[in-house]
Amino acid sequence: MKFKAFLTENGVNLLEKRFLPALEKMGKICHLYLTKDHAIFLHNLLNGDGIQCIAQFRKEALFDDYRISSQNDDRVAFAIDISLLHRAVRSSVSICSEFGGGPTANRLQIKLVKKLPPNCTQALPFLTFETKGYKSAVIQDVPISKPLSRAQVLELQSALDMAQDMPQTLVQVPDLNQLQNFVDRLKHVGDVLNVSISKYGDLHIQISTTLITLGAEFQKLLVVGEQANGPAEDQNLSAQTRSARAISRGEAQSVLVTVRHFAKSLQCHLAKPDCAFYGIGSQGACLTVIFQFFIPGSRQNDKSISLHCRLPVLDPGEG
Amino acid sequence: MSSSAMETEAPDLVCQLENVQGLVDALSSVRWKRHQDAVLELSEHGIVLIVEETGCLQAKVYLKRELFLSYEYNAQGRPRFGVSLSLFVDCLNTFSVPGHSSMIRIQYPGPDMQVLLKSVDSLDASIYAEIRTRIPDTISWDYNFQPAGTTPLSFTVKSAALKEAIEDLEWPGSSIQITLQPSPPSVTFKGEGHGDLQIDFMYYVNTDLLAAFHCDHQVSYKYKYKFLRATTSNIPSSVIKDNRGSKFTVGRGGMLKVQHLVSIAKQSIPHSLMDSAGYQPPSRIAFVEFFVKPEEIDDSRND
Repeated sequence: MKFKAFLTENGVNLLEKRFLPALEKMGKICHLYLTKDHAIFLHNLLNGDGIQCIAQFRKEALFDDYRISSQNDDRVAFAIDISLLHRAVRSSVSICSEFGGGPTANRLQIKLVKKLPPNCTQALPFLTFETKGYKSAVIQDVPISKPLSRAQVLELQSALDMAQDMPQTLVQVPDLNQLQNFVDRLKHVGDVLNVSISKYGDLHIQISTTLITLGAEFQKLLVVGEQANGPAEDQNLSAQTRSARAISRGEAQSVLVTVRHFAKSLQCHLAKPDCAFYGIGSQGACLTVIFQFFIPGSRQNDKSISLHCRLPVLDPGEG
Repeated sequence: MSSSAMETEAPDLVCQLENVQGLVDALSSVRWKRHQDAVLELSEHGIVLIVEETGCLQAKVYLKRELFLSYEYNAQGRPRFGVSLSLFVDCLNTFSVPGHSSMIRIQYPGPDMQVLLKSVDSLDASIYAEIRTRIPDTISWDYNFQPAGTTPLSFTVKSAALKEAIEDLEWPGSSIQITLQPSPPSVTFKGEGHGDLQIDFMYYVNTDLLAAFHCDHQVSYKYKYKFLRATTSNIPSSVIKDNRGSKFTVGRGGMLKVQHLVSIAKQSIPHSLMDSAGYQPPSRIAFVEFFVKPEEIDDSRND
């Protein structure tokens, strides 16, 4: 099992400034799954509870001279502490910047190694960062789990395949910051959030407890996938009635999620996505949020980067 | 109660407020612990929110009708209802968007005696809330504040300095003695417990700090530290930023009244509706008052 690659300048920027801060919020530990073409950060795919988060990069988005080999179809996966990884990348950046504005190619190598740490009798696996600065070279070892077995990798791959199904209707969140700000304040009011999404382009979120009902409705959002025109007679109704009527017509779906998970999913805006979409999985299996990234300077989707989260839904009985 | 009759009538109160954050600030200033019940009293003059604790401390927030963009009052008498203060404030807070002026509409009662809140500034996104109310407990109304004599015993001190002084007094402990004396005109806060700490505000030494002072004879009362602390612990930052003062008045029997002024106005330009009507907005201030009962009454020194 071998893995060795050079992080590109763009790759370092993506990871250090955008993705690692966002992924850190999703949970301390994640799986890093490396294949022939992709590097994928996966949260909570193998254990059932918690928010699932999948950040996938084509190798060219992050790396140069990417070499991987394993007896399992050249696939390697292991668990890693995101905050340690973030720290290693950050300090590598500061060493690289000793060069000033000069060429930065091939100065930040990462590779998989097995080392005998001091005071240990057994060699342990590490992801090693080798950084060559102007005056110094620094090696940082980020501890990782034992690489996943063939069976575990298969399990991870099938969980990943399962997590790719798209909701039939997606609505675009108008202002991620505003929504995050609202949800952060909602946390004080209650724990369970009812999210409903209609084919008319309505996103309606509501907390309801014995003492209070508090909600926000966003209308006329951009719809991707199945859409419909909202009936005119519904326009003057309250948000709650409108949602209920759309659901009874089969033109909207609603799920219950925890406010905590919903707030967490919004933390992905740290990765600076260009837009975000919410949708409900088939049969209300999960709430999906998909983030899109544009090719810099354009409004075209950058297909080499993808990020999405799946929020586990609560049984209505629990709500 | 006949609900069908109620639905046909206009609600007791429908009002609109321009700056939710100001309201959140004003109400937060009387929030001294996590779970507090508040009573709201509506009248043609405005809304009063009352909170109290164990018969020793009461706080009132006065929201005059002039603070509201519109205020339609239709009730007979003065409707009163109870809400959880923390829930009410947390809920109002969700309406406040940083960097925006967030306008809300408040209605009481809803079809099920709720308080209804709704954001009114944008068509495509709206926030709404229904807060359940309860029948209020009877408030012990013996906070009847009466002046202690012909001359009021009062002083006004910079809110920031007051807050700092009271925070400093945490160290000596449970009970704080406040003394006003006419010569030299000064106010003394003294804490005794794990040690002694005395903080003097001298009127002539620093007139910026102690802005006004009225006292014709020496008075001295002790108050529980935690109640004094409640009067300043949540002074909103806008009060400190505006460099406002807080007024202390000692009433009959040593009842202490502490008043703060909290701005409800938007920080930016005055509202265009107000201007076009050629109407100067009255100073947009919510009055916050605390009444603290003294710990023990020292009859020999007073009245």
